[in-house]
Amino acid sequence: MTSTPVLSVEGLTKHYGGRVAVDALTVELPRGVVAGFIGPNGAGKTTTMAMLLGLVRPTSGRGTVLGEPLDRPDRYLGRVGALVEGPALWPALTAFENLRVLARLGGNDVGRIPEVLDLVGLTDRAGDRFGEYSLGMKQRLGIAAAMLGDPTLLILDEPANGLDPVGMSEMRELLGRLAAEDRTVLVSSHILSELEQVSDWLLIIDQGQLVYAGEAAGFAARASTEILLAPANDDQLLTLADVVSAAGLVAGRDGDHLVVEVNGHDPRPLAASLNHAAASAGIVLAELHVRRPSLEANYLRMLEGETR
Amino acid sequence: MIRSYQAELVKLARRKVLLITAAAVVVFAVGGALIVLTSVKPAAQAGPGRALSLEQLAGAGGGTQIFRTAASFAGTFLFVIFVGVVAAEFSRGTIRTMLLRQPRRVRLLAGKLAALLTFAAVALAATETITWITARALAPGHDVATHAWTTLNAAGAAFTDFGAVMLWITGYAVLGMAVAILLRSVPLALAVGIGWAGPFEHLVQNAWTPAAKVFPGLLLEAFVAGGTTDISAGQALARIAVYATIAAAIGAVVFARRDVTA
Repeated sequence: MTSTPVLSVEGLTKHYGGRVAVDALTVELPRGVVAGFIGPNGAGKTTTMAMLLGLVRPTSGRGTVLGEPLDRPDRYLGRVGALVEGPALWPALTAFENLRVLARLGGNDVGRIPEVLDLVGLTDRAGDRFGEYSLGMKQRLGIAAAMLGDPTLLILDEPANGLDPVGMSEMRELLGRLAAEDRTVLVSSHILSELEQVSDWLLIIDQGQLVYAGEAAGFAARASTEILLAPANDDQLLTLADVVSAAGLVAGRDGDHLVVEVNGHDPRPLAASLNHAAASAGIVLAELHVRRPSLEANYLRMLEGETR
Repeated sequence: MIRSYQAELVKLARRKVLLITAAAVVVFAVGGALIVLTSVKPAAQAGPGRALSLEQLAGAGGGTQIFRTAASFAGTFLFVIFVGVVAAEFSRGTIRTMLLRQPRRVRLLAGKLAALLTFAAVALAATETITWITARALAPGHDVATHAWTTLNAAGAAFTDFGAVMLWITGYAVLGMAVAILLRSVPLALAVGIGWAGPFEHLVQNAWTPAAKVFPGLLLEAFVAGGTTDISAGQALARIAVYATIAAAIGAVVFARRDVTA
């Protein structure tokens, strides 16, 4: 990762009539990261991506992509691969023909077509018409099209849409591989568990405004890890809560479990000491495990906090 | 523009498109020659309209005049094709995909138009040739003399007729493209385009004769017919050029400035 941001925007704003789709977004994206772009439906993710790609003109704000000004997409789009609002290709053309049209249009080497088809696993179906493809295959062809120009920056809007579990796993692997090649990937998805596994950077927006931008690990650290305990005998739940309190910890009840916030402690030794204390009090634990907060849980908690 | 031109040709130069176009060219050329020859009459008996006289056809340009006259009946059809081809790029969202590859929007449009016109030129050249061959074979059966059709003057007339039809098609292409860009929807663009170029202009013309000198569709018809009693071909061409320039300018400005959100 270098200090030069691959993209940087300042006060980026888009109004549609009286509606504000993106509101003074100021953010930088470092080179070489896979950045998950998260936000509820209508948060402004697609509009932001469309502005970065020169499809939508910002109402105000400025920025650079790959060092070139945002209002000159002709200077940087040749180094950007993108899939926005789903793959839109010509249904009567085969996959190969579609890529040939796009290679010609982008001034790319037509000889790269077999390579990108292989990359997304569509070599055997290259002669089939795009209109006959399943949604998942269309998504994969859209990514192949984005890869035609051997891009430095990839901007992918919901690339996992329509993919089956195997396809999602392949997509994860592909994104990881692309990041390892020192490309930068900005990827939006509503499947947060997918993003959690591939993202090392997060951009979170809500109602057009930036909520979080930074390392994924930093976002995870915002919520504390929890220890879950459940006695083998449900009648001992209150006794177990007393044991936890005696250890100077606060426990909340979640069904037949107790949930203990770790609050800066090292969770494993703490879990071991709780286990020991419970055993000393004659309580056999049926469950004891450390629960690290998922991206989704953190994200939902953050949104709840905002709406309160 | 070159990249956009080449990309469009990839779409057009596919086997299926070529086969369908070839079939359409043959049917149109043979059918057109047959219809024009069937309606031909001596000048003394010829009424108003686009029908040719025996005397006109006996001239050096008679063979290719049949092509020009037959083509003039396909104006609305060609207009619909241009509107449909461009509007479909918006309806399907492929214009977005194209702009990600070629963000210089006016160049993208210009390349697309040039490729479509190149394809049309090849199809028209084939149509003109087949129409001439068919007409020459059928002419004796309709008392049309063809000895002047193989002279040097006939070759010159063939180029003139081809050029006139190409200008006529370019007019439809530019107007069709502008309508498609403004409306961005295949059904809407077709409805407006067909409604305007078809019934609307002709109905207005019936009630208001000067419409023939004003409306773009009627001017295109007058030009390809070699002029009418209302307006000469040259005047019609000059007015079409004004319409085409305005349409191209509006289309280019709107396309260059408008957000692409679908």
